[in-house]
Amino acid sequence: MLELLILIPLHVGIIAMFLPARLGRGLLVVTALLHLQLSVFAWMGKLTPQLPDYFAVTNEGILVLLVTSFVFLFISLYAVSYMNETEISSEPIYNGCTLLFLATMSMVAMADHLIVLWIAIEATTLMSAPLIFLHRSKTALEATWKYVMICSVGIALALLGCFFVVLSMDLGGVHTPITFSSLKEIAPQLDPVWLKAGFIFLVIGYGTKMGLAPMHTWLPDAHSEAPSPASALLSGALLNCAFLGVYRGHQLMYQAGLGDFSSAVLVGFGLLSMLIAAIFIFNQTGYKRMLAYSSIENMGIIAFGVGIGGLATYGAMLHLIHHSLIKSSLFLSSGNVLLGYGSKLIDKTGNMAKLFPKTFTAFFAGFAGISGFPPFGIFVSELLIIIGAFQQGKTWSISIFILALTLIFAGASRLVTKMCFAACDDPEVLVKENWARTLPSFALLLASITLCIWLPDPLYQTILSAIATIGGNI
Amino acid sequence: MIQLTDALFSINHLADALLSLTILSVLLSLGSNRLLTLVKIMAFQGIVVSLIPFFLEHHGEMHTGSIVLLQIMLLIKGLLIPGFMYTAVQKIKIQREVEPVIGYNASLFAGLFFILAAAFITDRLHISLPVENDLLLITAITTLAAGLFLLMSRKKAITQVIGYLMMENGIYLIGTALAKETHTMYVVEFGVLLDLLVGIMIMGIIVHNINSSYDDVDTALLGQLKDN
Repeated sequence: MLELLILIPLHVGIIAMFLPARLGRGLLVVTALLHLQLSVFAWMGKLTPQLPDYFAVTNEGILVLLVTSFVFLFISLYAVSYMNETEISSEPIYNGCTLLFLATMSMVAMADHLIVLWIAIEATTLMSAPLIFLHRSKTALEATWKYVMICSVGIALALLGCFFVVLSMDLGGVHTPITFSSLKEIAPQLDPVWLKAGFIFLVIGYGTKMGLAPMHTWLPDAHSEAPSPASALLSGALLNCAFLGVYRGHQLMYQAGLGDFSSAVLVGFGLLSMLIAAIFIFNQTGYKRMLAYSSIENMGIIAFGVGIGGLATYGAMLHLIHHSLIKSSLFLSSGNVLLGYGSKLIDKTGNMAKLFPKTFTAFFAGFAGISGFPPFGIFVSELLIIIGAFQQGKTWSISIFILALTLIFAGASRLVTKMCFAACDDPEVLVKENWARTLPSFALLLASITLCIWLPDPLYQTILSAIATIGGNI
Repeated sequence: MIQLTDALFSINHLADALLSLTILSVLLSLGSNRLLTLVKIMAFQGIVVSLIPFFLEHHGEMHTGSIVLLQIMLLIKGLLIPGFMYTAVQKIKIQREVEPVIGYNASLFAGLFFILAAAFITDRLHISLPVENDLLLITAITTLAAGLFLLMSRKKAITQVIGYLMMENGIYLIGTALAKETHTMYVVEFGVLLDLLVGIMIMGIIVHNINSSYDDVDTALLGQLKDN
């Protein structure tokens, strides 16, 4: 029964709201383990949906699900120790809401029905808003308000997009259920004008959630104000889920023979996101905001890769996996930095290499990884996207792509060097680092290295079948 | 036979009247600065908007299910959300929206412009909609645009929520305009889930004031987070 992936975290989440914090933390880890196992079963095709009208196992969905589940496990392991040290108003809310959040993200990954996908993405907003507000400060309130407001406008526009897609069915005289699997068969009969309009609104709507510029304004605030495990979850899991919404729209366009139009839209949004990130990352004062802008950049890279098509699509899918692994590791390390220095400002940190050697190793390695250095996977994925774009002869867009990458590396490395090696004004360690809070970061980085060196064949096949639906190949 | 066409004619007239009332409420809300008045206007708009589907021709033979849904819609849009908002306005103890980003006269003018633009767009679309009623689409687009405008041009959190609500009414109307019973049954109705988001936002406003984490619910005060 495929729906267990939603039902288990949903029920456990509701129970965890009423349990004492310690018990809740344990429950979080146990549920995460169970969820990962179920995801793997679903991947092996051992779970069939009870409601085949609404849910289905698709290759791209299962990829997102596996990544979400894997990242969630390590984040919940980290949270066990992190929550001990930090002061938040109500820990049961954290435990409950993260589990509900996991349930809604699983729903996104498995949704096959246009409206079920929309409901699931809306539900992720509702479930993650309390996570951002956990610290209950004025700035947390501001970030939460922005997040809910901007994402709600986005989700309303996405609903409009859904209406247009349905209208294109009506005008094309199609009578099938509004599921992606049945639309696939009859896509060429859909009315092209309204399908295009629908796609634009879907991209704007889900793109808001994914952090594509210029709808990204909620993202840096939300990521910097949320407690670090929640930021890791937002960046490593939620953005992928929103991307899945965009991906499904692109799939439909490709099947309807309008792939060129949607590719151009995605390339445009992708490049714009990268450029905006490159400009804003330069003078960041907070390290969590810096990481958030890097997430915007990486979402832009993924959109760009998918838009380019061919080999670049394969690169984009690899990028999605590795970005989740490395970025959540970075956010977890940033939690240690925050505990240690007690400030989110880069100026208040310094000399991490000496004061926090373990966190330093994880953070610096993560930074090298996210900037595209081997042996981390982003090296391969970015290389594939660049080669793919050259194969297609997109010289102009690839020049902008490489320029943005260079600028971001220059901007971020200045800040990271300052954090790691510059002298610290006030070298007092508030909370000492420990293995419980660094091992999850290392594990996530190790996973990225492993997948870069040795990609298991079943995973390779899944990626290939996922990208085949939008004309990607090797 | 004549009587039947007469009846249809008058039903269409009634729909037109309701649509005109919607546009009127949009213009009123753009020009008003008292929060309580705004809430009342939104309650009125909610009722009118959720009544419109009853009076459209192609909805003549409605299923029992959709009639029940429409009534739920009426209850939520007309009573529940405005009631909730009324509580919020009482709690935050502010009566007026002061210093809007864009002034009231300019806002009214923008509203008139939206009507023109909506009429232009509707005219240009040239599609055979299931509902042969141009005014419906014009109203829908106007409401959507004015809602977005209100959302961006006002500083108070509660006025922003009102703008969002208006935008949502517009989306609901567009859905109604494009709807054909076969497919969209229970698609347009899912718009009601957006009301859930509105509910959460209002709850946020109410809860915050109780915690008194700020004295004034003004998003202009929410200006701490920015990129330097």
